[in-house]
Amino acid sequence: MPHSRPSVIHVDLDAFFVSMELLRHPELRGQPVIVAGGLGNRGVVSTCSYEARKFGVRSAMPVSQARRLCPAAVYLETDFSWYAPASRKFHAILRDYTPVVEPAGADEAYLDVAGSERLFGDAPAIAAAIRQRVRDEIGITASAGVSINKLVSKVASDAGKPDGLVVVPAGEEAAFFAPRPIRELPMVGPKTAATLATLGIKTIGDIARMPPAALVARFGSHGAELAARARGVFDAPVLSGHAAAKSVSREMTFDADEPSRDRLRAVLRGQAERVAADLAHQGRSARTVTLKLRFPPFETLTRSWTGPTSVDLADDLFEAGANLFERAWEEHGRRPVRLLGLGAANLQERARQLRLGDTGDTDRLAEAVADLRARFGEASVQRAAELGQHVARADVPAFRPFAAPEPADDDVPERTTPQVRAT
Amino acid sequence: MKVQVLQENLQRGLSIVGRAVATRSTLPITANVLLMTDKGRLKLAATDLDISISTWVGAKIDEDGATTVPSRLIGDFVSSLPPATVSLEIPERGRQLKLECARNESSIHTMDAEDFPRIHSFSEGVSLILDPKALRKTIERVEFAAASDDSRPVLTGVHVKADGARLTFASADGFRLAVSDITLPAAPSDAVEVIVPARALREVARLVGESSEPVEMRLNPQRTQVLFSVGDTELVAQLIQGTFPNYNQLIPADYNTKATVSVEEFKRETRIAAIFARDGSGIVRLQLVPGNGMPGKLTISARADEIGDNNGEIDAKIEGDASKIAFNSRYLQDVLNALSGEVELQMTSPSSQGVFRPVVAEGEPKDYVHVVMPMFVQW
Repeated sequence: MPHSRPSVIHVDLDAFFVSMELLRHPELRGQPVIVAGGLGNRGVVSTCSYEARKFGVRSAMPVSQARRLCPAAVYLETDFSWYAPASRKFHAILRDYTPVVEPAGADEAYLDVAGSERLFGDAPAIAAAIRQRVRDEIGITASAGVSINKLVSKVASDAGKPDGLVVVPAGEEAAFFAPRPIRELPMVGPKTAATLATLGIKTIGDIARMPPAALVARFGSHGAELAARARGVFDAPVLSGHAAAKSVSREMTFDADEPSRDRLRAVLRGQAERVAADLAHQGRSARTVTLKLRFPPFETLTRSWTGPTSVDLADDLFEAGANLFERAWEEHGRRPVRLLGLGAANLQERARQLRLGDTGDTDRLAEAVADLRARFGEASVQRAAELGQHVARADVPAFRPFAAPEPADDDVPERTTPQVRAT
Repeated sequence: MKVQVLQENLQRGLSIVGRAVATRSTLPITANVLLMTDKGRLKLAATDLDISISTWVGAKIDEDGATTVPSRLIGDFVSSLPPATVSLEIPERGRQLKLECARNESSIHTMDAEDFPRIHSFSEGVSLILDPKALRKTIERVEFAAASDDSRPVLTGVHVKADGARLTFASADGFRLAVSDITLPAAPSDAVEVIVPARALREVARLVGESSEPVEMRLNPQRTQVLFSVGDTELVAQLIQGTFPNYNQLIPADYNTKATVSVEEFKRETRIAAIFARDGSGIVRLQLVPGNGMPGKLTISARADEIGDNNGEIDAKIEGDASKIAFNSRYLQDVLNALSGEVELQMTSPSSQGVFRPVVAEGEPKDYVHVVMPMFVQW
């Protein structure tokens, strides 16, 4: 729900993995440092220091490319065992201020402090306190954005990076967005950006000035959302993970209608993994698996399957989802797909009948993966089938429109907006 | 054919063979029962092609012959007749069976006995003589653990194997395993290792009932069929071909915790917990709590999200560490229903096998073990 006062905070640790490495390697401060999952040619950059970004190195870039751009950088391999305690500490600090904390990865989260202001002061004061505690208790810096909703707070914290706090007063969302480049708007990916560029659109304000009808004509329902978001309008609430959900789902809208069966199945597989992780996190399993498909322009269908026993493992969710998908897709002439979603419903207590010969290893593996994802973000553990297809990045949870790379800070934005508070 | 038979004998015979009548078949004659004269008696037989049951009843044979009539019809009809002599007659070249009993007369359309599937009986092959009580007990301890779906046909059967004078029956449906032994008076003359359909054994147990006559089990030389001979009745079943999984490795030799409890109490608390479990995933949680000098206890609990919860406690002798394990309520009830007296539950961890064994007196054979896989739950 939109608030009349800014009470939604987005907190994001600055270049988290790199900052953690600098804590134990202070001699590397000021140098380009790149932390990657695997240092071979197939490794991918997880995080890079702001010095490395000057050379054009970005998160999610292949290590081989980073080496060409910045051969002099120090390359380190990700060490989750070193980052995990800090991540836990970070989330614990946040929960000191409100139970309404929605983690968005190992190093970022949304908080709604509307109910805490009597205790701890207004949202900007709480954001400042959190940033101070992160610095004192973990030894690294965090940026924060404060506004009336998650969308604006997210853009604001990015705008404040590194080590900044940006407060957007209620009613000034559109004005805050107007001068910013379109790529800072979370739902604008490379393809949308390219299309917008051909229309001469450079800033978020340019989008806001377009007649919504023109955007709808160009991008369909995506266009209507784009028009609203360019004005800073966004009403998904901060969801603390503890409310017992009635169902869990993930869906994804493709930038271009997707014709490839392999790609669609890979996306479904990724969604199954993440739905399974959510179920594990909530201690639930599902009797019913649902599939959602949308064909352009707005032909949406849902299919569901209810099994004899409940399912909770990614493989089983995927198998059920893939069966539904194959049948529904076949019925619709295997047309390109605009949106694909997988859900679990009819949730019940998580339990699985083990089979003779089982050792419980499958369950322990699934729980370990879910645990890693909960701590380090969804991209920390992926199926090989998903790699190279940017599935994790594009895979948008139903409630979370921000497909930001993780740990997310694409560019070092200018810090000249008047809303920047001294830190 | 002309035969006179007592109504109660005919009724009993029809109800015995009626168990093998096909309920859904593409071959209409298998819904019929075969009536034929055989060495001075009346033979009744039925088959669904997997199992056939034949039984012989005493009768006064005036003229030999054979025919088939719809099983359901003649069964309902005969059971309604008064207890008197029933006369069955098919006139020469007739197509109808004429039945007379007291002042009731009826006729039933027949189908030709020549078209009835041939029921094999065989007297060659290896033969085993089984104690009826031991056989029935063993069947009741294993048949329920066989698979009820056909996805792996061998698992719908019971593995029967002789090792010396010990005959071992085993069944497993993927989630549980039941193994029970019978001691034979002598080792069989030839190796015995076959898979008998669980359904056939259920019928054998029913035929045995309270009888004290030894049961003969015979395998044909091709090892494609098994014949059980119980009094005046024979049951022939097609054996299931295939390899039964090697189950011995699934019975753990060691345990960390062992609880010894009364079957009656355990059964009662499980039945109560199952009422609460049935709206959820059927989970019954067990906690094994050592007494440290005092008697230990076993708690049996269940909960259902929108209903409530239940917690029962019984005395138990606990050896080893405190422990917990969750089972599907049906599997737990099934094994407890097959037991009496006292039972031991042995376990190693919440995600490995629960092993149930009856407590037997010193010197008695340890002839039963039942393994149930637990449910992986969040405690």
